[in-house]
Amino acid sequence: MAERRDKFTRGWWFILPGLTLMVAVVGTPLVLGFSYSLQDVFLYAFDAKTFVGFENYRRAFEDPLYINALRITAIFTLGCLVLSVGFGILIAFLLNARQVRLRPFWMALFLIPFVMTPIVGGIAWKFFIWEQDTGIINSILDLFGGPQPYWLLDRETALLAATITNSWHLIPLAVLVFYAALTTIPDELHEAGRVDGAGPFQALWYIILPILRPHILFVSIIIITSAFREFDMIWALTGGGPGRATTVLSIFAYNRGIANQDMGMANTIAFTMFIIMAVVAWVYITLYRKTGRHEA
Amino acid sequence: MITAGLKKRATVWGVHVLLAVWLIICILPPVMLLAASLNSTALFRSPLDLLLLRDFTLENFAQAFSRGDFWFFFTNSLIISGAAVIITLVVCVPLAYGLTKISGRARSAVSYGVLAMRFIPYVVLALPMFLIFVNLGLTGSRFGLLLAHLSIHIPFATWMLVGFFDTVPGELEEAGIVDGCTPWNLFWNVSLPVVRSGVIALAILVFIISWNEYLFALFLAGSNAQPLTVGITRFLGGAEAGAEYGIIAAYAVLVIAPVILFALTANRFIVSGMTAGAVKG
Repeated sequence: MAERRDKFTRGWWFILPGLTLMVAVVGTPLVLGFSYSLQDVFLYAFDAKTFVGFENYRRAFEDPLYINALRITAIFTLGCLVLSVGFGILIAFLLNARQVRLRPFWMALFLIPFVMTPIVGGIAWKFFIWEQDTGIINSILDLFGGPQPYWLLDRETALLAATITNSWHLIPLAVLVFYAALTTIPDELHEAGRVDGAGPFQALWYIILPILRPHILFVSIIIITSAFREFDMIWALTGGGPGRATTVLSIFAYNRGIANQDMGMANTIAFTMFIIMAVVAWVYITLYRKTGRHEA
Repeated sequence: MITAGLKKRATVWGVHVLLAVWLIICILPPVMLLAASLNSTALFRSPLDLLLLRDFTLENFAQAFSRGDFWFFFTNSLIISGAAVIITLVVCVPLAYGLTKISGRARSAVSYGVLAMRFIPYVVLALPMFLIFVNLGLTGSRFGLLLAHLSIHIPFATWMLVGFFDTVPGELEEAGIVDGCTPWNLFWNVSLPVVRSGVIALAILVFIISWNEYLFALFLAGSNAQPLTVGITRFLGGAEAGAEYGIIAAYAVLVIAPVILFALTANRFIVSGMTAGAVKG
């Protein structure tokens, strides 16, 4: 008994300093943010705040601009999810092909989009890839006599361009995780598939995808979390425009809070984001505990 | 047999061609930045012109260093990122270690709390922090921005490190207890050496995340603590667009140089850090 108590206190002495700091830097803004979302608070008139209950939430849900931002965030997030998981599996599968040499070399360079500062990545894509006159996409299209769209200035294409650019940033993460998982598949399994006459794509579908299932869940959660809150990349590419075509919730909250100085509404928008992510976290943790128990 | 050999060779080629295409897509944006930074008239030139360095010059880099307060932004970035790494390690390594030492129920409560915090969108924290900092007079201080970064790093680092500490075999500590180690010795001399490469991986990732961070800086940096990521947008907005193209590109190259170097030299650590917790843990 004494030993168990000893073990207990031993752990907590290591935990307490960090836990205290974490609660201070995460918990404090979270609680205050929620309380601001229940008030009328304006920037530079901070002392004149009044409690309004859930009025801000009602106003948000009746605001077509909020619904628009919600819709754009959903499209952006799902687009990034599909592109990242799809290309992540494909590239990891190619990289894991038996004949590929110099894997560390490929891997190191494949990491670049992930580590590259997103705000700089956005600027680079804007100047050199999507640019209407001399951008690489339109240069290639021009070779085939294709159209020359203003990718980032057109409401129809700006969100697509932002989604592709952000997927470029996220795909390396998916590749890494899937590749690491694929290397753990024993060769015999591939051999067995080959003996049974499975081609590479049948192998992908029937052997590899089922094995990757838990990793697909993990990658999906990371991509959803990251894309849902994305600000930098879109900010650098379009600033939320043209019009409001790429105004995701993060940018919408920023505009309301800093540009319109309506901090109550900004915190309300942010808090609805928190609630959506809390649901995602809850789903993930539930699934995680289940798979954890299976393996234990 | 000949056709089988041909088919095999075709597959090898196909795989490499596809990988090469993806490789080009990966490196094209930074390579174009570098190309533009090395040309004197970067404005609206065709990509090929830029890549062939038809108007080679180093003047853009000289300008980027001498104008736009580059060193001021650089110092802010370096101090905030460096301090974030040190504080995160000092606080989270013991925290994660302690979590593997406490009993089941308390452990899972704290662990899942830590995991849940990783889902919080940054803007949720940045908005109230802005108001808190205005009230406390922390706006525009490096210390304030550092605190904001810690709100990202602590949950991330703790979760990752718990996964590493879980791999330390229990027998190792039991042997230490038999030898009469103090709790501190068990942590410092027995467990920590086992997870050393995990700690290095974490330090690199925390540095990269802090170096790249933009949202908190935009909200909280005021005019005294702006890091490079805010500096580059000042450059974009302040200059006559276009005319300063090459200088902006040079500036951008300087911003991404450290993180790209990390990717090329320390990728082993980055990979192990990013895939930690992928399956379970």
